[in-house]
Amino acid sequence: MTAARAIPTAPLVVVIDDDPSIRSSLKFLLSTVGLQAATFDSADGFLHTNFPDVPSCLVLDVRLPGLSGLDFQRELAARNICIPIIFLTGHGDIPMSVRAMKAGAIEFLTKPFRDQDLLDAVRVALDRDRKRREQETQMADFRHRFDSLTHREQEVVSMVVAGMLNKQIAAELGTAENTVKVHRSRAMEKMHAQSVAELVKMIDKLEASVEP
Amino acid sequence: MAESAFSSNDPQLATSVSAYAVPLESILCTEELHSRPTRPPDYEKENRALVKLVSALADSPSTIFHTLAETIQDITRCDSAGLSLLTKDGKTPHVDGQRFYWPAICGMWNPHVGGGTPRNFGPCGDVLDQNRTLLFTHFERRYPYLMPVSPAAEECLLVPFYVNGKAVGTIWGIMHSDRRKFDAEDDRVMASLGKFASSAYQAWMHIEELKVEVAEREKAEAEVRELAKGLEAKIRRLVEANVVGIMMFNLDGAITEANAAFLHMVQFDREDLASGRVRWADLTPAEWRGRDERALVEIKATGTVQPYEKEYLRKDGIRVPVMVGGALFEGSQSEGVAFALDLTQQKSAQERLEEARRALYTIQAELARVARVTTMGELAASIAHEVNQPLTAITNNGSACLRLLANRKLDPEVLKSALQEIVADGTRASAVITRIRGFLKKAPTEMCELDINDIIREVLTLAGHELQKNQLLLECQLSGALPRVRADRVQLQQVLLNLVMNGVEAMNGAPNRTLSLESRTDESGNVLVAVRDSGTGLGSEVDRLFTPFFTTKTNGMGMGLPISRSLIESHGGRLWATANSPHGAVFSFTLPAAGECNL
Repeated sequence: MTAARAIPTAPLVVVIDDDPSIRSSLKFLLSTVGLQAATFDSADGFLHTNFPDVPSCLVLDVRLPGLSGLDFQRELAARNICIPIIFLTGHGDIPMSVRAMKAGAIEFLTKPFRDQDLLDAVRVALDRDRKRREQETQMADFRHRFDSLTHREQEVVSMVVAGMLNKQIAAELGTAENTVKVHRSRAMEKMHAQSVAELVKMIDKLEASVEP
Repeated sequence: MAESAFSSNDPQLATSVSAYAVPLESILCTEELHSRPTRPPDYEKENRALVKLVSALADSPSTIFHTLAETIQDITRCDSAGLSLLTKDGKTPHVDGQRFYWPAICGMWNPHVGGGTPRNFGPCGDVLDQNRTLLFTHFERRYPYLMPVSPAAEECLLVPFYVNGKAVGTIWGIMHSDRRKFDAEDDRVMASLGKFASSAYQAWMHIEELKVEVAEREKAEAEVRELAKGLEAKIRRLVEANVVGIMMFNLDGAITEANAAFLHMVQFDREDLASGRVRWADLTPAEWRGRDERALVEIKATGTVQPYEKEYLRKDGIRVPVMVGGALFEGSQSEGVAFALDLTQQKSAQERLEEARRALYTIQAELARVARVTTMGELAASIAHEVNQPLTAITNNGSACLRLLANRKLDPEVLKSALQEIVADGTRASAVITRIRGFLKKAPTEMCELDINDIIREVLTLAGHELQKNQLLLECQLSGALPRVRADRVQLQQVLLNLVMNGVEAMNGAPNRTLSLESRTDESGNVLVAVRDSGTGLGSEVDRLFTPFFTTKTNGMGMGLPISRSLIESHGGRLWATANSPHGAVFSFTLPAAGECNL
């Protein structure tokens, strides 16, 4: 991790509920475990705000004025905003909770809930978001490194990852085996790969992220 | 026949002008009276005659004319003597003064008593015209009308007499032969007797008038007697029929007479009545005495008392509701007659009706409560949410405080503000519970004056979450200048909540969901509330909406609208449904403005 990326790491919990008592009490509860909270009375307010690039999660009332909680979840997905969601509901509504969970919700809590359950869910959500952010950062790194390879180097890397021997690659490319070795070692260096195994893992991840 | 001629009342004859056969002068010999040898006056005889006449006038005035005629004949020693009186009948002018008749005749013409002549058919008319004593000889020469009267008059002495200067008749004497002729002495005596005739005539007239008066009075009295006899029978019939109680009373409190119906009503008997034990003052329970006092004032002032309701205490102490009214007897200040009508039947019927109405109200209230419970059941999710919100906030704040406490990081200021929030949320939760409990409570109808807009706002609070959950647009047009209504708060809330919930349900799945509430006064000054939805509308079901157990909902009871309508109607209002434009339904109800409502 570089120092530049480490500065704004204090996570943020975003609370959206139309009831001011709920907003205020949740903010207080989260503060006891050192978490910062931003509160909104509607989904609209959230969509019009720019947030710092920190691990975050949403605590969302299912029944919101205007856009409902589940509609909002769909809307976020459509906008490609990947923020973990913890749903709050006034009454246990199983079909609704199933839908929410399938759509990727972290937790579906019935009011009133145990403080620990909420804080645990928040912790899980923030961890997941943190991890996702780290992966995204790493992926961007890998992509950047891969993009710095020459066309020939990229071809050689692809064949190495596919398990071909140097001799086979040379034959395939119609070049000398020594030349392949030079490309290979330069690519390994550019990709910061200590071993072929590590290189394979990197490329796998890159390919996985490209796939839909 | 002679008699028939004299007694004729033929008006034709009476009014026809007499065709005198010869001039008056040719049959008169009045001047001769004073040239004929005359006898000396016999004052003694004359005095006796006058005394006799005066006493006859006093003793038997009805026969005075006959006595007078006898006296004339006696004193003048003539053959016939009598009176002629002008007919007098104020009522028939063609008779009045048109004829002479003969009330008394003595002597040879006596058979002609009661007869007479038309005014201008005999000598009397000429005498009155001449206004002096006249002596006629053979007057039948001038008056052919008298020709057949026999025996014929040789000489006839006629003297007119007057009352208050007006000629009313003549007295006369007739000689039927020439054995004797009238002389100056006859003239003097006849003049004197003429004056008496005038007095006698007046006395007789008075008596006649009195007779007429008496006869008229007797006739009137007979009529009254006859009438009274009929009326008495009718009144007796009324009294004895015993369809109403009737009693005679005096203002001192006594009942002097009463019919069987009255005695039966108060359970006293004839013996009680006779002994004076039945007193209306004692029949009246204490709390009705004030009303009786007012009746006494009325009867003393006007003579009657208009019927009013009160109670009597029967002999056995049981109360009987009655209607009484009465009147003082004419001319009496203390006694009168009264009727009393037993109202027991009517009262008990009225009470049964009242009881049935109360029972109906109780059932209606209970049914209404059941419907409220049902409505609350439908609202359960919303209610849970409303209670859950503050509870959740309380739990959050409490848990947070405990955490800080455990870490010994609790700042008193932070604790204070958290506790304040906890208290506020606790109050909020309890308000929800109170509201719902108030709505569901089993309480008797409680009428008070209300602002309908307050009720609308309360209902929107009760149903608020339901509206929000269904994401519909709410429009309110509440008039600020509404008269208050007299109503039961909970029942009105129920009706409105029912209409609002129906509206919400009707718009389930509709593209544009707008619920609008309006309050205003209608054309008659009633308060009108309309709840409009943009839902599926009423369709063909509009007629069955208010039929009990008719429902379009999967889990509805079908009682909401019928109960709502009966609640509004029991408040003196009306509830109905119409179509909304372009789609949906309008449910409206009216309530009379407070002060105009008679409940």
